[in-house]
Amino acid sequence: MSGPALADIRACLEGVIPAVLATCDAGGVPNVAYISQVFHVDDRHVALSFQFFNKTRQNILANPRATVLLIDPRTAGYFRLHIRYLRTESAGPLFERMAAQLAGIASHTGMEKVFRLLGSDVYEVEAIENVPGEPLPPPPARAGQLAALRLASERLARSTTLGDALNAVLATLNDALGMRHALILMHDEPGQRLYTVASSGYPTSGVGSEIRVGQGVIGVAARERTPVRIMHMTNAALYSQAMRSSFERDQPDLEPVTDIPYPGLAQPHSQMAVPILSAGRLLGVVFVESPQDLQFGYEDEDALVAIAGHLGATIDLLQSCAEAEPEPGTAVAPAGSRGATLQMRRFRANDSVFLDDQYLIKGVAGAILWKLASDHVQQGRTEFSNRELRLDPSLGLPDVTDNLEARLLLLQRRLQEHGPHLRIEKTGRGRFRLAVARPLALAEA
Amino acid sequence: MAGVTLPGNLLAMIARGVSANVASRDAALRPSLMRAVGSAVSPDGATVTVYLARSQSRQLVQDIASTGHLAVVFSEPATHCTVQLKARRASLRDATEADRPLLARYLASMEHEIGRVGHPPAIARAMLAYRLEDLVAVSFQAEQAFEQTPGPLAGRTIGGSA
Repeated sequence: MSGPALADIRACLEGVIPAVLATCDAGGVPNVAYISQVFHVDDRHVALSFQFFNKTRQNILANPRATVLLIDPRTAGYFRLHIRYLRTESAGPLFERMAAQLAGIASHTGMEKVFRLLGSDVYEVEAIENVPGEPLPPPPARAGQLAALRLASERLARSTTLGDALNAVLATLNDALGMRHALILMHDEPGQRLYTVASSGYPTSGVGSEIRVGQGVIGVAARERTPVRIMHMTNAALYSQAMRSSFERDQPDLEPVTDIPYPGLAQPHSQMAVPILSAGRLLGVVFVESPQDLQFGYEDEDALVAIAGHLGATIDLLQSCAEAEPEPGTAVAPAGSRGATLQMRRFRANDSVFLDDQYLIKGVAGAILWKLASDHVQQGRTEFSNRELRLDPSLGLPDVTDNLEARLLLLQRRLQEHGPHLRIEKTGRGRFRLAVARPLALAEA
Repeated sequence: MAGVTLPGNLLAMIARGVSANVASRDAALRPSLMRAVGSAVSPDGATVTVYLARSQSRQLVQDIASTGHLAVVFSEPATHCTVQLKARRASLRDATEADRPLLARYLASMEHEIGRVGHPPAIARAMLAYRLEDLVAVSFQAEQAFEQTPGPLAGRTIGGSA
């Protein structure tokens, strides 16, 4: 391939200035039309948005050769792509990434009712021409992304707990990449949902809030195992996380409310979600958003994908060495409980647990808390290990792929937010303590 | 094929100066393409002229000269109001000093149009930079016109026979 590489012109492929596409029918009549998206697929391929059954569409099916004129929105430099139509994808990661980007473009340009992605037309790039002209000097390259990756890598390598690792990522996003609003969610595979374990930049932590796989930018990134990035405010409901979605519809009627509100921005103008993958499995999602348009470019996506990959490896590594050593460390005698009784109530239907009539947690984390509290009340135990939880059939931990560390961290953080009377404290590798400051009274509902 | 008579509002839009992109194709049906750095409409509305920089459009100018085929899409960025004109005959000539005022008017219009969608004038000036001696004026009478504003009417034929 002659001329510049596709990697050199990614700035032209962000949909900031629409591209123009020339095609030709079998009879030799040329056609020229605007195209909303020319999407970077890899170093030899682009995908164009197929939105209408129009002349362009007829032409490429009859004569697959096409020419695209791109413009760099920063310099006004032109590039011509000589491309050949290969195939159309109407589902899957590429389609979903383009559909999300198009939703942002459509909202931004007042075309929400008109622009709808029917397919991603994949083309092979045969040549890229750098068209002569008088472009403006390019803006200085953004420094710091590589340094941010190094910082994330160093911080992750020093992490000894899941909590450390999540903090390392959030801190790096915030202070090295300027991503002020961020969430990290873990994947609950049996439940087909994601639950928030860490966040930064919001009035409430939202730890414990849940999103269905497939719902919003986060859910689409999880379902398709692909980064999703939207650079404008979009009104498309598909990309909104903020919908209240009760997961209890298929449960027997439960009186108490067990929804923790989603903490994110009500009107994000830029959003990006990147899956956390390890050994081919989905562990969770890292999500960033901003109240401003055009905040996350392709280089930010590159950085976040690299950080999420490192986080995934770290999570797996920490989990594999999180089993307790055989002999317990010398346990510090815990302070006794005193004062008014703390009421803990469990609803068996969904393992939801309430403390003094305030909703705390449900699901696997709820079952874990109930087991710890029961053992404490019945046997006076305060010291526990990850291993015994893993082996306890009553907890319904699916298998090793269920991230027990994440459940414990979620529980620990929810208890911290609830108050000082009941705490989970790590006491060593794979060991923790239930610190009970007020006498517990348990009730089944 | 007879020429088409364009509705007044579209002629006015083209005459005012909006984005113009020109395409043709070679003998092997490979499309060629470039943005015009200027456009104009004759007083009677019958002839449209687009200005191309040869250094940016070698293949395109050659294809128009050898096949006569061209397609031009005019679009107002802020409203997406878009129309495509097609012809099978065109006349080419070098631009002259007499074309300067018209090119200057076009640039001023484009600075305004692109400004409406948030791009600074410097971007318009860089997009449309040219040297007069590099320009070729391509004039044609539209044989076909198509509505191309995104939406349900896109693709519809516009205008009656002249």
